[in-house]
Amino acid sequence: MARYLARRLNLFFATSLVLFVVMFSVTAKFPVDHTVALTGIHAPTAEEQASINEAYRLDKGQVSQFIAYLEQRLSGNLGISVTSQNPVFNELTAVLSASFELAFVAGAIALLLGIPLGVLASLSKHKITQHTIMAITLTGYSIPVFWLGLSLSLWFGVRLGWLPISGQINLLYEIKPVTGFLLIDILLWDSRYAWSAFVDALQHIVLPAVTLAVLPFTVVVRITRSAMMSIMEKTYIKAAEARGLRTYTIVMRHALPNAFIPVLKNLGLMLGAFASYAIVVEVIFSWPGVGAWLVSGIYQRDYTVIQGGILAVALIIIFLSILIEVLHTAINPLSRKELYAAH
Amino acid sequence: MPPIKIYQVGHIPSPLRRIWNAFTDNPFAFAGFWAICCLILLALFGPLIAPFSAAHQDPQALLLPPSWDPAGTVEHFLGTDDLGRDIFSRLLHGAHLTFGMALAIVATALVIGFVIGSISGMMTGLKSSILSHLLDALLSIPSLLMAILVVAVTGPGLSNVFWAVGIALTPQFVRAIHQAVHEELQKEYVTAARLDGANPLQIFWYVILPNILDTMIIQTTLGISAAILDIAALGFLNLGAQAPSPEWGAMVAQGLDNLLTAPWTVTIPGVAILCCVLAINLVGDGLRSALSPIRH
Repeated sequence: MARYLARRLNLFFATSLVLFVVMFSVTAKFPVDHTVALTGIHAPTAEEQASINEAYRLDKGQVSQFIAYLEQRLSGNLGISVTSQNPVFNELTAVLSASFELAFVAGAIALLLGIPLGVLASLSKHKITQHTIMAITLTGYSIPVFWLGLSLSLWFGVRLGWLPISGQINLLYEIKPVTGFLLIDILLWDSRYAWSAFVDALQHIVLPAVTLAVLPFTVVVRITRSAMMSIMEKTYIKAAEARGLRTYTIVMRHALPNAFIPVLKNLGLMLGAFASYAIVVEVIFSWPGVGAWLVSGIYQRDYTVIQGGILAVALIIIFLSILIEVLHTAINPLSRKELYAAH
Repeated sequence: MPPIKIYQVGHIPSPLRRIWNAFTDNPFAFAGFWAICCLILLALFGPLIAPFSAAHQDPQALLLPPSWDPAGTVEHFLGTDDLGRDIFSRLLHGAHLTFGMALAIVATALVIGFVIGSISGMMTGLKSSILSHLLDALLSIPSLLMAILVVAVTGPGLSNVFWAVGIALTPQFVRAIHQAVHEELQKEYVTAARLDGANPLQIFWYVILPNILDTMIIQTTLGISAAILDIAALGFLNLGAQAPSPEWGAMVAQGLDNLLTAPWTVTIPGVAILCCVLAINLVGDGLRSALSPIRH
């Protein structure tokens, strides 16, 4: 297992290195001055220019420049934003937490609703129930997310007026950032308005989270259903039935843990699509997350923001997908067989 | 005089015939199949049957509702947008941008993915792992981020969408084909062929290729639906097709200003994208279940 972990860690570093090489070569191709693309400083003074040259070793060869680039980026120096003149790193940490919050809530909705529904779909003997669930998931899988977001905000936000459709919280509330995660910050907030602020924040998160949850929800339902259907045919389930166990026990103890393995694997494969969807959802609902920040960065041709955002998001996705792969191996003894077999 | 049948001849359908029969047994998948055929025809000949051109503006008919609304007219079947452009005609003109380009992107990605994936799948050890993991870095950049990167370098436009979505899709094909080849390579019938003295090229072409075709077909249908959604999302974010273009995602973005007064300018292109992707997913699902008795 230790050897396996070392190999995965190695893979993480190798993949990240490739990502940095890609970003380094793309940075050189941005249609602005190379120093602006690297640091975001327009018209630097002579001293600034000298320090930039020194920091990024612009007078040396490509390899040396790449190492300097890597040093700067890994030490947290992502340059300053061309438009706001703030350090990109600070802006990034502020928006990342909002994105994580949204992604976490959406993922929780998808898993909490998707797994029970998938199990129900696999157990139900009614053709109609099965077909309905499959039709709903297939539609959810095919729906363009921006259109879904617009329709939901038109109906529930404008026509019915039930839910707010933009932002993270009503501007009336001024929450001190402690952890960066708004919902946790509100709970830590010591004020008599804390509860109403919490409800307000929850109302704001419903529409974006539901829109974002549709894709993982449909995938979870479909994978859970097909995994459960193949597992319920297995002989050990028959044996459990023969022993007289209740269906509930069979499903919860013997079938579901095994059905969760392919679900986990597919969650890892879905991360990229999920991130793309999250960007669109954040733009539609003006969610102050990394996606909306990146898209406004590209509209303003803010090259340091684009670089910083893409690096951060891609690194997070690489890390999470390797983490999910490791988890998958840890909970699935069958996939470990391949680790030791030599081929 | 017709020949007299003395013996009962049992007709055994060929494997391809059996897949086709299993596929047509599913009415939803078959409906999706016909829908895709119609879409291909529309992508090719749509501009010829469209009643108006994509850019034709009728100042007498601004924001006209669809024809089933009392205020609508049959002349503009699906209504008009804020510049008086006929939405039905624009959808027809946009079919080859959204659907046709998705097909082109997937075809390119499939060819490149097939070549790299089968080479890396046939190889073993370090070389194979370097080739397959190199692309993991690209796979980890979501298609939208890739598009943002491409747009940052070259500026927005429809041709950049081709590169952005293509670069984002290719690693998926490489990975799927690599894994399929790698899995088949472990099986005993491949060892048998090798013992018979087949060289690696023969093993790949005659032994492995027929058995990974189903993976490739399924991956292709998945790729097309992902490509359509990506192209439309880029058009919506104004990073792909630009404003006057009748690309379906861009049409949604153009209708956004009138969302409250004229929701059909957003709804109708959205429904078009939904139907298109739904048809492809229905066919993909049908193919998967038609191929599955062979796969297991």
